[in-house]
Amino acid sequence: MNLKAVDTRLLIAILLPLLLVVLAFALGVGAVDIDLGKAIRDIVNQQTSIEMLILHDIRLPRALLAGLVGGTLGLAGAALQGLLRNPLAEPGIIGISNGAALGAVIVFYYGLAGSAWFVLPLGGLVGALLAVSCIFLLVGQSRSIITLILAGVAINAIGGALIALALNFAESPYAMQEIVFWLLGSVANRSFNELYIALPFLVLGWAMMLYCGRFLNALTLGEETAKSLGFNVVRMRLVLILGVAASVGAAVSVAGNIGFIGLVVPHLVRPFVAYEPRRLLLASGLVGAILLLIADIAVQSLPTAAEMKLGVITSLVGAPFFLLLILKSRNTLQ
Amino acid sequence: MKFYCLCFSALMLTSASLLAVEKPRRIVSIGLCTDQLLLMLADREQIASLSVWAQDENMSYMIDAVGDIPLNRSSVEEIIQFEPDLVVASEFVAWDTVKFLRQLGYPVKQMPVATSVAQIYQQLELFGEWTGNQQRAQATIAQMQSRLADIHARYAERPVKSVIIYSPNGFTIGANTLEDDLFIQAGYRNLAAEMGIEGFQAISLEKLVASDPDVLQIDRGLSQQDSLATAYLGHPVLARLTRQREYLDIPTRLRICAGPMIVDAVELMAARR
Repeated sequence: MNLKAVDTRLLIAILLPLLLVVLAFALGVGAVDIDLGKAIRDIVNQQTSIEMLILHDIRLPRALLAGLVGGTLGLAGAALQGLLRNPLAEPGIIGISNGAALGAVIVFYYGLAGSAWFVLPLGGLVGALLAVSCIFLLVGQSRSIITLILAGVAINAIGGALIALALNFAESPYAMQEIVFWLLGSVANRSFNELYIALPFLVLGWAMMLYCGRFLNALTLGEETAKSLGFNVVRMRLVLILGVAASVGAAVSVAGNIGFIGLVVPHLVRPFVAYEPRRLLLASGLVGAILLLIADIAVQSLPTAAEMKLGVITSLVGAPFFLLLILKSRNTLQ
Repeated sequence: MKFYCLCFSALMLTSASLLAVEKPRRIVSIGLCTDQLLLMLADREQIASLSVWAQDENMSYMIDAVGDIPLNRSSVEEIIQFEPDLVVASEFVAWDTVKFLRQLGYPVKQMPVATSVAQIYQQLELFGEWTGNQQRAQATIAQMQSRLADIHARYAERPVKSVIIYSPNGFTIGANTLEDDLFIQAGYRNLAAEMGIEGFQAISLEKLVASDPDVLQIDRGLSQQDSLATAYLGHPVLARLTRQREYLDIPTRLRICAGPMIVDAVELMAARR
């Protein structure tokens, strides 16, 4: 037990500096070359200059948001895989992200987002919660991978269609083209405004998910064992689901649906945390943040005419990984 | 064969009678810009229908003149019910409708895109000919010319300022566009054109800020409703960038179409120089 605790600290001691390095690198990348030294001096001296505006108002919120959203998706993926005891669970695959996007789209395009700062992430939360509820209704207590994936396919299809429908009925003539953002995600041109409205929901969601770590450990031994260990299974499950809905809902409402991060990250991290769900959570969050930052550096560095959406990169990497996982678990699928 | 001959001569007869009448009497417009030209140049009795955009308060300069003229959504079904003797549209607007109407034998005239004030004059002349209102067109041109000359003279003393335009979806507008010519008319240097940008093109927020303009012009575009496209214009860096500089917000209805209303836009821009 003691040894594991040291391991966790060691893991964080490696991942946290790595995250900071990637973050610093992301701040150096952009459409124009700027004198970063001057930009930092101007920020410290509170002087307005072009360099300072680009670094502080454009790159910093973008990079922070990429990190926060990536961390959320990694953490939520680990939490869902633990909760459903299913290696293919992920907010995108089982339809939670599309549910969140639907909630956010309805709030955003129908003029409700302006009524109060928390309405947009709250819309994402409600949409995510609806999707999770559907998953639980469809899957129930079954641990079958096939049932979960099929339920996900259905919820994703319904969510996607309803997003398109909501955009079609929106009054803005731009709405329909923007489906790309909601289905593939991006943090381009996002500002501190979006960061601030999402942050309270993100932090609350993380806290709720991390709080459930020991419960997830107990759950690996089965629900009955978790109960006998003193966990109120119904309550803990509810806390975890609300945590996933709050954080994924808020993340999607400001950055769209970025797929596969929540699937890939826990699998990468699991061997390093001795397959312990509780320790998987925090490490998955950190790795998720690092990976999405790298993806965002990539979309800015690739010489495409219009900037690529983040979901394109994460899906290109994540979808083959998903196939690999299906192949690996084919025996258990039968 | 006989039947076709009959049809052909019937067609010749109708077109001949049309020529004799001269002025078309049931003109249908299927786009915002031709709507406004019709309202400005044609007699009220000549207009059978306008597009719904004529009544868009954000985009239409002539909204008060629409009155009870029937509106259409530029679909073929609606248009043929008006039995038009002339359908007018801007080039690139509802091209599928235009193609279909031509196949059905309706006379359709398409207005080319104007990329300068000089071309607006040509358009007005052309539109005057199509609708049989040449005199009104000439008077409108003369009025535009004298107003523009007056604006030039009034603000000639003021220094030339650099400007860049930012519109929904992060687009800017470079050389060979009407907007570029309007900047020149109003005494500005368009930084997007100087960067080598031609026409409408997306510009990254970083490049926009780095261009360091004296004046930032925000184009509110087609809609005030919430969308990601218009969220580009709400990025706080734009507010901070304009804190020590000037900021231009020219109403969309003054600049979305080539027509006499652009003089109002030039005047607003020149006055802020």
